[in-house]
Amino acid sequence: MADGGLGVVLAARLSIGLGLLVTLCCQPLAEHHHHHHHHEMTMDRYGMVMHENHDQLPSDCSEISERVRLEVVVGRKFAAPGRTFGFNQHVWQVPPCSQVSVSFTNDDEVRHQWMVHGLPRYLYPQGMFHMEVNGGHQKEGVFIVPSGRATYLVHCDISHHMEQGLKGQLVIGEGSGNLPSIPGLTGPRFRDQDGSQQ
Amino acid sequence: MIWRVLHAIGLLACLWAALLHFPSHQLSPRLAADYHELFGERNYRVAQASQDVAIKPFVVEEHCRPEYESWRQAHTIEGIDISATEDCIPDNPWEVAAAVKGTNNVDMGTLMKGLLAPDAVDKSEDRDGDGDPDLIHIRLEIMELNGRSTDVPETLPYFEIAPGIAPGLWVFAPKSRGMSTVNFESIEANRLIRLPAPAIRVEQDDEVMVTVENTHYLPHTIHFHGVDHPFETPAGEGNDGVPMFSEHPVPPGGAKTYWLSPRQAGTAFYHCHVQPHSHILMGLQGLFIVEENRPNNWVQTLNVGGGRVRARSIGVSERYDREFDLHYFEIDKELNDRIKAATDPRLISKSIHREYNITQRVAEYYVLNGRSFPYTLRESLVVLKPEERVKLRVLNGGGEGLALHFHGHKPALTHSDGVILKDEQRRDVFWMASAQRADFALSSENDGLKSYGAGAWMLHDHRERAVTTNGIGPGGGVSMLVYDDYLEASGLPKTVHGEQSLGAFFDPAYYRGDVPVFAMMPHGLGEAPVTSPSSHRSFRFALFSFFALLWLMAGWVLFWQRD
Repeated sequence: MADGGLGVVLAARLSIGLGLLVTLCCQPLAEHHHHHHHHEMTMDRYGMVMHENHDQLPSDCSEISERVRLEVVVGRKFAAPGRTFGFNQHVWQVPPCSQVSVSFTNDDEVRHQWMVHGLPRYLYPQGMFHMEVNGGHQKEGVFIVPSGRATYLVHCDISHHMEQGLKGQLVIGEGSGNLPSIPGLTGPRFRDQDGSQQ
Repeated sequence: MIWRVLHAIGLLACLWAALLHFPSHQLSPRLAADYHELFGERNYRVAQASQDVAIKPFVVEEHCRPEYESWRQAHTIEGIDISATEDCIPDNPWEVAAAVKGTNNVDMGTLMKGLLAPDAVDKSEDRDGDGDPDLIHIRLEIMELNGRSTDVPETLPYFEIAPGIAPGLWVFAPKSRGMSTVNFESIEANRLIRLPAPAIRVEQDDEVMVTVENTHYLPHTIHFHGVDHPFETPAGEGNDGVPMFSEHPVPPGGAKTYWLSPRQAGTAFYHCHVQPHSHILMGLQGLFIVEENRPNNWVQTLNVGGGRVRARSIGVSERYDREFDLHYFEIDKELNDRIKAATDPRLISKSIHREYNITQRVAEYYVLNGRSFPYTLRESLVVLKPEERVKLRVLNGGGEGLALHFHGHKPALTHSDGVILKDEQRRDVFWMASAQRADFALSSENDGLKSYGAGAWMLHDHRERAVTTNGIGPGGGVSMLVYDDYLEASGLPKTVHGEQSLGAFFDPAYYRGDVPVFAMMPHGLGEAPVTSPSSHRSFRFALFSFFALLWLMAGWVLFWQRD
């Protein structure tokens, strides 16, 4: 079942094409990357930022169009009814080819993540830009988005944090349609079985 | 007149035919015997020929993967000696090293070869100057396995206790980093998030802090069962883990630090004490071991998934050649699968805390170190050699008693609930109550008492239901005591027909009851025939009775109503 569900999982969680299976978790930091000039990962006791990119332009961008700053806060206090956690907002819209700098502040006392999926894989391994911050701490990270209209999944991949409200979308330009189960925006693909939710 | 006679004869013929096909198998044995006296036995009929049963091919490399080969070897990582292991699925030696030395004391390179967070196990301050750290800070998270998703039909992160069997679970997990699954394209849980919660080891007189970072959606606590701990922390906060009387439980997104400095060594237990009749049985429980104080004693603070201890304490090494943590537990899917129905914490809380009735509990699954047979063979074998002494630390974390039976050995019970016994008890069945711990000294000295000699010997709860998985055996928490000569290179035990004959058990179909239980043996019975002669018999009886009735009514109208 774990293997059989692969395609479904991918389609459901990503809405983008299949990529290489890369085991992120087992990829040693010591192993250097070949053709990327951005940071593979910076990590300390308070969290980590993976695949940061200050200046490598996506192939479809001739220059950085704009510099955008996102102030993302995560915590229990932002939870929608029937959910446990929330971001201060769940939809972020940025211009194509913009350089996005994210300030990620964790208002809880547990680890949380702000993980973007579906970015170009030639620039971002596994198509990911990832920030993880311990409770009570804050991290900064920068990446550059491509030019195409796209809606990227943003979530926290700690067990059931996405189901508990830590799901959002990063919209490039006009975007490519809303993702399911974004708090305050769209309903879940699979509703609770006794039907009393939403 | 002639028609009336013919009608009567026909009626009698139909009744006779019906009687001949009377479903005598439904009569009492006495009446059936009378029936067969009168009408004779049924005719012999050739049963359907046996059909060959296809056994799913068993690919050893899929289970005992070649990339684990380097993990199996002995390592010295940052000065920490990690013993070699024969296990099909070994513990990651870099994670073991980080758990021994402290995640704060190892290189980033070592840390990155495992999944532990940089602050998962902080070790510092050699206060008594004996060469080992005495201030220990452990951080645990609370994770759900096999729970409902809003976005995919599967439950996740996916964790199987047996082939195709994945009940809902809550576990304490060492604080990790990154994703809860092995990668984004998979729903499979990463290695650190599993049943059981890690076995925790500290040294006697250490100052120990255990922080629970509640990453889960319901309130939880930790109660240190059988471990010396004050009712309040030095800061005056509740420290017993009992809601209301000791403290408020840790809310979702919150954290709490427990404080202890155990003065007595022994094998103990930690578990959530919120709604304990459901939270403990959802999986929130683990072994907590206090090792005797010794100089230069670096203990393996986390033993993920239990099983072999790859970096033994000085005290254990003085007396034993090997050490294994064995955590038994049972699961009632009526409770655990409730998290597969909803994601709203209010609905889940209502379902688990108010609708589930534990007094009606009947467990289906029995696990050892989070797995049932045959998965126990991959990671929870007790491997030994002749003339060795092996230490076993056993916890019965379930709500039922446990009749632990050793084939081929009579080990000595040295400690009960962490307390040393004046007179060791040597037996081959040990009854363990719920929450009880037992330390065993298992000797492989072949004297006909301690050991009957080398072999691949069973180790199991002797209550028959506990050697099954939802009634299909072999399953449950069955494991083995295997002498190294009886191991395949893969780390699986030898069988009379090679590893291939294990293939049937590694197939989810077996535990669905779709595979005949003797299929992997020569002269197996084959699949059971699909039809039953006695049901045909009942059908024919009904048919002839119907004809008789029809004939009676038709004849009555046609031949008896005239004139």
